[in-house]
Amino acid sequence: MDWIRILLSRCSAFFSRRTLDKDLDEELHTHIDLSIEENVRRGLSRDKARTAALLEFGGVTQTRERYREQRGVPWIEALGQDVRYALRQFRNSPGFAATVVITLALGIGANTAVFSLVHSILERSLPVSDPGRLYRVGDGGTCCYFDGFENDNGDYDLFPYDLYLQLRKNTPEFEQLAAMQAGGSSLSVRAGSAPAKPLRSEYVSGNYFATLGVGAYAGRPLIDSDDKTGAAPVIVLSYATWQSDFAGDPNIVGSTVYVQTHPFTVAGIAPTGFFGDRVIERPPDMWVPLANEPTIEGPGSSLWSQGEEDTAWLYLLGRAGPGTNVATVQAKLSGELRQWMSVHSAFTGHGKTPQIGRQHVVLVPGGGGIQRLQQRTGKGLRLLMILSSVVLLIACANIANLLLAHGTARRAELAVRMALGAGRRRLIRQIITQSVLLSLIGGAAGIAVAYGLSHMILALAFPESRHMPIHANPSLPVLGFTFLVSLVTGVLFGAAPAWLSSQAKPAEALRGVNRAAGDRSSLPQKALVVVQIAMSAVLLAGAFLMARSLANLEHQNFGIVTTNRYILSFDPKGAGYTVERVPALYRQIEERLSALPSVQSVSLARFTPLGGHIWATHVALQDLAASERCDTCFSSWIRVSNRFLDSLGVPVVRGRGFSAQDTQSSQPVVLVNQAFVRQFFPKQDPIGKHFGVDEQSAGAFEIVGVFADFKMTDARGEATPIFLRPLAQQFTGFVQPAQISEETSSMFVGSVIVQFAHPRQDAETLIRRTMASIDPNLTVFSFTPYDAQVAGNFNQDRLIARLTSLFGLLALVLASVGLYGVMSYFVARRTSEIGIRMAMGATRPSVIRMVLGGALGQIAAGLGLGIPIAMFAGHLMASLLYGVKTYDPFAFIGATLVLGLCATLAGYLPARRAASVDPMRALRAE
Amino acid sequence: MGDKSDVLQGTLDLMVLKTLESMGPLHGYGIARRIEQVSDNSLSLNQGTIYPALLRLEQRGWIKSEWGTSESNRRAKFYALTRIGRKKIEAETENWERIAATMARFLDPQKASAN
Repeated sequence: MDWIRILLSRCSAFFSRRTLDKDLDEELHTHIDLSIEENVRRGLSRDKARTAALLEFGGVTQTRERYREQRGVPWIEALGQDVRYALRQFRNSPGFAATVVITLALGIGANTAVFSLVHSILERSLPVSDPGRLYRVGDGGTCCYFDGFENDNGDYDLFPYDLYLQLRKNTPEFEQLAAMQAGGSSLSVRAGSAPAKPLRSEYVSGNYFATLGVGAYAGRPLIDSDDKTGAAPVIVLSYATWQSDFAGDPNIVGSTVYVQTHPFTVAGIAPTGFFGDRVIERPPDMWVPLANEPTIEGPGSSLWSQGEEDTAWLYLLGRAGPGTNVATVQAKLSGELRQWMSVHSAFTGHGKTPQIGRQHVVLVPGGGGIQRLQQRTGKGLRLLMILSSVVLLIACANIANLLLAHGTARRAELAVRMALGAGRRRLIRQIITQSVLLSLIGGAAGIAVAYGLSHMILALAFPESRHMPIHANPSLPVLGFTFLVSLVTGVLFGAAPAWLSSQAKPAEALRGVNRAAGDRSSLPQKALVVVQIAMSAVLLAGAFLMARSLANLEHQNFGIVTTNRYILSFDPKGAGYTVERVPALYRQIEERLSALPSVQSVSLARFTPLGGHIWATHVALQDLAASERCDTCFSSWIRVSNRFLDSLGVPVVRGRGFSAQDTQSSQPVVLVNQAFVRQFFPKQDPIGKHFGVDEQSAGAFEIVGVFADFKMTDARGEATPIFLRPLAQQFTGFVQPAQISEETSSMFVGSVIVQFAHPRQDAETLIRRTMASIDPNLTVFSFTPYDAQVAGNFNQDRLIARLTSLFGLLALVLASVGLYGVMSYFVARRTSEIGIRMAMGATRPSVIRMVLGGALGQIAAGLGLGIPIAMFAGHLMASLLYGVKTYDPFAFIGATLVLGLCATLAGYLPARRAASVDPMRALRAE
Repeated sequence: MGDKSDVLQGTLDLMVLKTLESMGPLHGYGIARRIEQVSDNSLSLNQGTIYPALLRLEQRGWIKSEWGTSESNRRAKFYALTRIGRKKIEAETENWERIAATMARFLDPQKASAN
């Protein structure tokens, strides 16, 4: 047990080093003094006594050394020495140290940021209990209200309420099966005397929280009995919203709030960190039982079957019992689906029955929730991962190069030190300490870079997010991994040359230093530079492609004019307006806003182009016989005020626009766009023709005008058929309840488009004030300049373009720095050779040419390698590009030029330095 | 033996212990001088090597140290045996004698076979 005592003694001695050193000094001093005294007693002179005493003692320094080795924890002390030495080295060559640290920080930071974000978006588990047993019934992103067959391949993933109830009843394999609204709603909520505010809401079944296995932070979650017709209306608020919009008032639980003017009781607050069933930019602020949907939505309700129609609008998420066989349940559910369809005429009429056989559901693991966001951003995120990996590779190549060059340059120093007696292992340990220290500092800086970059990426990708459940903080495992990579690179490329040169005999090394002619040993360095330049070429070319693609996207002709236009979105239904009262409201809005100074036009519309929402309906042409009618012919349509096309600068190319002659009692009229004409009236004049939404209503609407195409929801694709119907005409000829209620809800518009003659700073205040003066209870959801709304369609594209540009720039800088560093060391090593050449008559330009020639060779090789790879990468990226050919010459020429220029400059500077060397000094410097 | 010879660590430790046993508490210089005397000056070790040995013994708890005053009124560190140290002397002495006997047998086979 001796070793414990010894260890303890060593440790405690480590902490009182200084005192013990003093003690030892005193002890040794006394020893020598006593020895001198003894010698004097024996008759020696003072001086001789002293000499004899010291001789008898042996080496004082050596004694101290051996004593210290015995006393403290020597390896820690040695480490401390090494660290201090390394820091001193950094101060001596700050450029080298700074370059390595910055390179590491950029490489580590970029990678950590991207991989952490990707992990938290793509691989996030819901914060619920036992997510492994959750399954989603359906795997696609079909949204948000559908009827009929959904996908061409028969994959059914959006469900009507009736079908959900059936599945729930007949599938005991699911302990719980919950239904939730596929889209989301904005409902105006008023609490107490505060004005009503719009909150994101989601309709969910009563067992939603039970299925997910979460409780409540305060109060209680929703339960099954809340989800019955006639039950007391309750809602559950999210924790974040409770804090931000209701000031965390504990009294809100149990109090009454008004949702779209209907009273609801707040049953509880959801747990902290719970954000619902999916990762999304704006998670729900509150959850409402499905049973309350008809009350709130009124005629637009989708819950119950309306006649023959069942609206599919729900996603299903279930908790499977233990030991459930997924394949079996999936087959069972598909069977139930087909059986349900076979008794519903929406799926059996018109010879549709054979399609039923193809219909099926897919069961997928639901622990990550509904994957709509992930499906939408997945490709872009994976691209980002590849980009940042490339940057890391370049960074590591840079560091490797720098360390190799640095190590080679220190060969002479190492040789001298070894000749003086330094141990080889100690030397190598010192160099490794240096590399590790650099890696640690670089890693710490990398954390800062990662943090900043994560925040930037999130802000760019999801600018309108609110309470988004993604954190910008770098995740530890990713940080650790990238850290490890750079550590290994540093140690390997720092220690390798040191080990190699320590093998050589010192005399040889000293003899050969600074007389290198030719570069046999620099092949690995050259290879690294070539690889770096190649990778940079790929990134730069990618950046050019994405930037052009983005420019094409943002500056294309959308078909509408957006300058000086603003969109106000509001909710008349939420303020309690009925179908009878809204016409007067619309008239007031148009009159009051038009009267504002410098307002050129005001129009109202249910949806705005490029606003992200649309309704589509079936089109049945009157002229076609029933058998000829196409069952999959759809068109989008918008309910608009008469000045809609004017206010967006869309010309009417045939016929006329809406006017005062189109009233409730006159013939219901529509305007169609050119795409509509191309699809439904390819060789005829559409003016005067009639169509409807089904067989019975085929004569309902008369086409009186054709307007120019504009893009409605898809900014990248071609224009699709659209028709417009005037606010003044509510069609009364529908017989089916579903159609009647749809027609009624279409009378409620949500947007006002205001066009000013010139830009106004106070546009928002003016308009909000006017709206408030019309009706203070009217909830205004948002006020956006039209340009901003359009730009919002390209958030992801902008993000990718900006990041590829950033990474391309990073790569360019790193590669240039790498080339510069290598060339500098190369020149430094060949200084005496250059001196000799110049002494023998070589001119400055020829020296520059000689040095630069080497650099240009590497650049050419790098480009030759990189451009073909870039073309291949462009080919892979093709789906992300818009209006840009994958072999776009400008992008590749541009990348080549930029890279070539920077790299040549990076090589030229050291070359110039070489040529300005004074031959005498060069020869002397050995 | 007129040459300076290297002294094994363990043997130096034992010498120090025996010195302290017979002389009582002593400072570093005193121990070194005593060892030189006992070995009849045939063993001239570098006196400095005493100190790492003393530290070793102290770490093991076989001796303890205390600051005191020397004969000539100098401040010096005095070392003394501990109880454990005393017991260790016996064990170490046995050990050493056994080694010496074994070596003797190797070095002088006749004597060995006679035994």
